[in-house]
Amino acid sequence: MRVLLNQLYRLSSAAAAICLCVIAGLVLVQVFGRIVDGTLRALGLPIAGITVPSLNEIAGFLFVAATFLALAATLRQADHIRVSMLIRAVPLGARRVLEGLVLTIGTMLAAYASWHAVFLVIDSIQFNSVSFGVIAIPLWIPQSALAIGLIVFAIALADELVDVVFGDGVPTYQTHEEAKSDIIQRPVITPEEAERGSS
Amino acid sequence: MGIEMLALLLGAAMLVALALGLWVSLALSAVAILGIVIATNVPVGTVMATTIWGKLNSWELTALPMFIWMGEILFRSRLSQDMFAGLAPWMRGLPGRLLHVNILGCTIFAAVSGSSAATTATIGRMALPELSKRGYDPRIAIGTLAGSGTLGLLIPPSIILIVYGAATEQSIARLFIAGVLPGIMLAVLFMGFTAIWAIMNRSRMPEADPPIPLMERLAATRRLLPVILLIVAVIGSIYAGLASPTEAAAVGVFCALILSWLSGTLTKESFTQALLGATRTSCMIAFILAGAAFLTVAMGYTRIPRELASWIGVMELSPYLLLAALTLFFIVLGCFLDGISIVVLTTSIILPMVQAAGIDPIWFGIFLVLVVEMSQITPPVGFNLFVIQGMTGRNIFQVALYALPFFCLLVLGTVLLVLFPEIALWLPETMLSNR
Repeated sequence: MRVLLNQLYRLSSAAAAICLCVIAGLVLVQVFGRIVDGTLRALGLPIAGITVPSLNEIAGFLFVAATFLALAATLRQADHIRVSMLIRAVPLGARRVLEGLVLTIGTMLAAYASWHAVFLVIDSIQFNSVSFGVIAIPLWIPQSALAIGLIVFAIALADELVDVVFGDGVPTYQTHEEAKSDIIQRPVITPEEAERGSS
Repeated sequence: MGIEMLALLLGAAMLVALALGLWVSLALSAVAILGIVIATNVPVGTVMATTIWGKLNSWELTALPMFIWMGEILFRSRLSQDMFAGLAPWMRGLPGRLLHVNILGCTIFAAVSGSSAATTATIGRMALPELSKRGYDPRIAIGTLAGSGTLGLLIPPSIILIVYGAATEQSIARLFIAGVLPGIMLAVLFMGFTAIWAIMNRSRMPEADPPIPLMERLAATRRLLPVILLIVAVIGSIYAGLASPTEAAAVGVFCALILSWLSGTLTKESFTQALLGATRTSCMIAFILAGAAFLTVAMGYTRIPRELASWIGVMELSPYLLLAALTLFFIVLGCFLDGISIVVLTTSIILPMVQAAGIDPIWFGIFLVLVVEMSQITPPVGFNLFVIQGMTGRNIFQVALYALPFFCLLVLGTVLLVLFPEIALWLPETMLSNR
């Protein structure tokens, strides 16, 4: 089960990363095409006309997919920001209660959002919604990425919740969260050294 | 329920949600749901799904992951290690000498990173020990670091300006160009102050090092220079109308990869780490934007922003007073929130009010970033001050005291921006394309 879940999160974030690569690739092809055409025109030659049709729309869709498919991994690596002042200040028992509380709220919100994202996809299939561009892309395809990403996110939140309530009480992101602020706050000069410098 | 009660209730709910440690993006959505459920009987879930989809499905926003990715690649190409070595030889001749490395280093680094806490931490970890070793007064060393950690956020490609542009539907290209002059103005103010301080406090400065020949200086900067050229080229092509922000950013990613390949730091591992890091940071910011978009729509249903705007109109508050009040409000928020969260949290509520007062939204974006960054070093509490407290072991009041002159310079810069709005608006007006 554990292995399966980790695999799910990894797969989802890898798909998100690939979406970003595809955006970069397509935009570069477009820019390259424009440079080639500009050069050809300057030389008085016929243009090659390399363009990516509907690039604006496709890039937007890929961006949505990249965002939502990465949600779970972002949570687990503590990259979603929050105010952790209170949660880190209270004693261990209270901390567990607080983590449990925010994870419960989070799981409910994500599940609710997933539910309605699925409806969005079903609507698009029923009404045959397509994008407006040169290439008419059925909207359910990018919207499915949104729905799947939210579902994986809800699973990841529930996973952490189970860990906090029934497991060791420590969510996966906690070590990352603490490591992050420790890196930022690791001392570089001691006050004594600094004083010596100033005298 | 009266609209005042509703506003108070939603405000309190937001504070509680954030304080408990709920993720910012989820807190925004939770309050939005609460607002819609109380104020109206529209189907919440449908509004939520269509808003999120409609907002994020945008060509303009694709510039966000591209710029973040470019920054991630440059981070991993030894940029921070090269920064001190590359800048120091050039600064020896100026009054204030290596203290300027803090200021310029932060400016360049923030241009690629977009987070003031990360900038302060990275530059500080490298520059503070060097400055301390060479006998610079730690008070001024810490002060320059605290101040300049914030200023580079105006220098494009600024992530926080993309966020503002996306949240308020303003042109990201124009915002970028609008940030150039105010950013340079602040850097000049900071460097000028440091130079004057150094001249007046000769006794607190270490002995001067002998100047370094030009060729050696160039050799020391050879790895830093391409990065600076890359940033200039990205901004230049947007200004000249040659490329949209997304295109400039994608080319930026490509060039950053080549730079890192040339410097021998491009490995399969560093590539994957940069890509995954960019995926997650972009996801975090985009998800906050999605929550903010939903909150904006929810606020529209509750009519709170409109009421606020007309209330401001009835009070006949002058724009100056309004800006002063907003400044205070942001400074309070800056005690516990980072810049991006402040921007998205407030734009959904205050932008109608600001526009009702006749303030240009592009100008307001620059003003907002300036004030938000000021809020990060406001004595006695601010996000950046915490970072420096952790790094130097000095308590936050001391750090705030050292940073105070730079805080005052930021206030001065903001006042100048208010008195002369052209500082931000002149360059966008001369842009070659009206994208």
